[in-house]
Amino acid sequence: MIPSWILDIFAAIMLVVAAVSAARLVAARPWQHRTRPAALADIDVAHLLMAIAMAGQLVPGLQTLPDGAWQVIFAVMTVWFGYRVVRDAQVSGVRALAGGHCAPHLIHAGAMLYMFAAVSAPAGHGSGGMGGGGMSGMGTLSLPFLAFLFALVLVGYSIWDLDQLSGPGASGHYSLAAARMAPTGPVLAGVGAAAGPGATASVAVAGPVSPTVVAETAEEARVVPPASAPADGTGVLAPWVATSCRIAMGVTMAFMLIIMI
Amino acid sequence: MSEIAAAGASPAWRSRLRAGTETACAAPDARRLLQLALAGIWLLDGVLQYQAFMFSKGFSDMLAGTASGNPRVVASPITWDATLVQHHLVLLNAIFATIQLLIGIGIAWRPTVRVALAASIAWSLGVWWFGEGLGMVLTGDVSPVNGAPGAVILYALLAVLLWPADRPGRLAPFVAARAVGAPVARALWLVLWLSLAYFALLPGNRAPQALHDMIAGMTDGEPGWLAALDRGAASLVAHQGLAASIVLAAALVIVAAGVYLPAPAARGTLVLAIVIAALIWVFGEAFGEIMTGGATDPNSGPLLALLALAYWPARAMTMAPARTAPAGAGEGMAVS
Repeated sequence: MIPSWILDIFAAIMLVVAAVSAARLVAARPWQHRTRPAALADIDVAHLLMAIAMAGQLVPGLQTLPDGAWQVIFAVMTVWFGYRVVRDAQVSGVRALAGGHCAPHLIHAGAMLYMFAAVSAPAGHGSGGMGGGGMSGMGTLSLPFLAFLFALVLVGYSIWDLDQLSGPGASGHYSLAAARMAPTGPVLAGVGAAAGPGATASVAVAGPVSPTVVAETAEEARVVPPASAPADGTGVLAPWVATSCRIAMGVTMAFMLIIMI
Repeated sequence: MSEIAAAGASPAWRSRLRAGTETACAAPDARRLLQLALAGIWLLDGVLQYQAFMFSKGFSDMLAGTASGNPRVVASPITWDATLVQHHLVLLNAIFATIQLLIGIGIAWRPTVRVALAASIAWSLGVWWFGEGLGMVLTGDVSPVNGAPGAVILYALLAVLLWPADRPGRLAPFVAARAVGAPVARALWLVLWLSLAYFALLPGNRAPQALHDMIAGMTDGEPGWLAALDRGAASLVAHQGLAASIVLAAALVIVAAGVYLPAPAARGTLVLAIVIAALIWVFGEAFGEIMTGGATDPNSGPLLALLALAYWPARAMTMAPARTAPAGAGEGMAVS
């Protein structure tokens, strides 16, 4: 049996991630954007939901929704990020899988869906799914090789994120500094402008005003008046915050997959 | 992230943005990529160490079991360590797991790569003795097919070869030569693979059913498809122990000598090394038995493959004499 205090620590980390993600959503105010508010908020919403779900899996007392509801949520999330990865790949090619930020979230969402769909509660723990059994009760996953593969990929993305976050050329959603935003004039703005983690490219607009702004993909970059450009990516909106959340979730998810094999 | 001058929001910026996103990530050099792979394996090891089995008496029994057959001077500390672990199982195993997790994270985090690699060497040597009984190489009951000379010693070897330093002014024909020089790197490779060839020819491995029994013994607790795969492989080598040992040893000798051959031939032998590592990992080690819930690491297969990649001949890499490689990076290198 895994000591419960270890599961509690991982659950606490997930609650911190959930709180940070919620704070990012509040700070970014994606609902105030007239176009593509979902694309502005999807990363933080995904982090928030996954962190809450994982905390509930780790500590039964933190369960919020029934397993079936989580399955639906993560199925929708998987489809959404699958769609966004395809869109990224159309722009960036296969590099979207390594350099983009939607591919890791697709894996995260898929892993969560798998965890909720493939778990079987330990004998004698009723129908509470993995959460009902509790992780220390070792609910087990069917198709363990799939769990192993998911864990490998999650570890890989986490390691890659750590390297990029600490690299000399860290920028965009790996940047430890604040994202640069358009100060004046019509500019290109995008997901990264509002949500931080979405930033993967900086675009300087030629002309009288040449500010540097951040856009995740070509499709999401758009001309917006300066008044609607969100506040810059400082504080909780800094790109590294979201990447750190992703690393924490990736490691925790790999941990959960492995201990449930 | 590149900054792209875009002449308005015309369709042209889409292609420019593509160029921007393609450079979105700072592309690490070959050595850094191998370091990251090593970091990933350490992180996986840390996660595996948190499994429920490791918090049970089975773990301390597993440690104690490695004393068997070893000389007294080796076995006594193992027994002492296993007893200590048994008495403080939860605390010590949690510490073990966390250390491995931190080593993985430390290697991936560039400012701490040297510290983490140094720690990984010390940790690997300790685990090789106290956790693997020196890979059982002194017992005579060891085979390259099931993990000799002990997976964890390969972590230490990789850490040395991937150390983020460059020998000034020297040409490095492959990544592993950058820190220690080509002669030393080649010698280490030769010793490793020749020792594997030697282990393959040990009497216990030449017995008619030795390889069959070894592979068939991996099926317990494995998923059905993997167990079937192992059973099929075992049936192929049934009563072929001697022939299989000779073929395997010959292949391992070829691999050992390969790094001294010209680049095209060396690449061929490295491909052979990777194929052997893959076969060992799938059939001899059953993916490190990770799917049984009792593995502490993915075993030697992935590490042997990683080593082979570190010896892959590249264009001659000239080290800039005035620069030392930053932590974890290969920025001191110019490819000529």
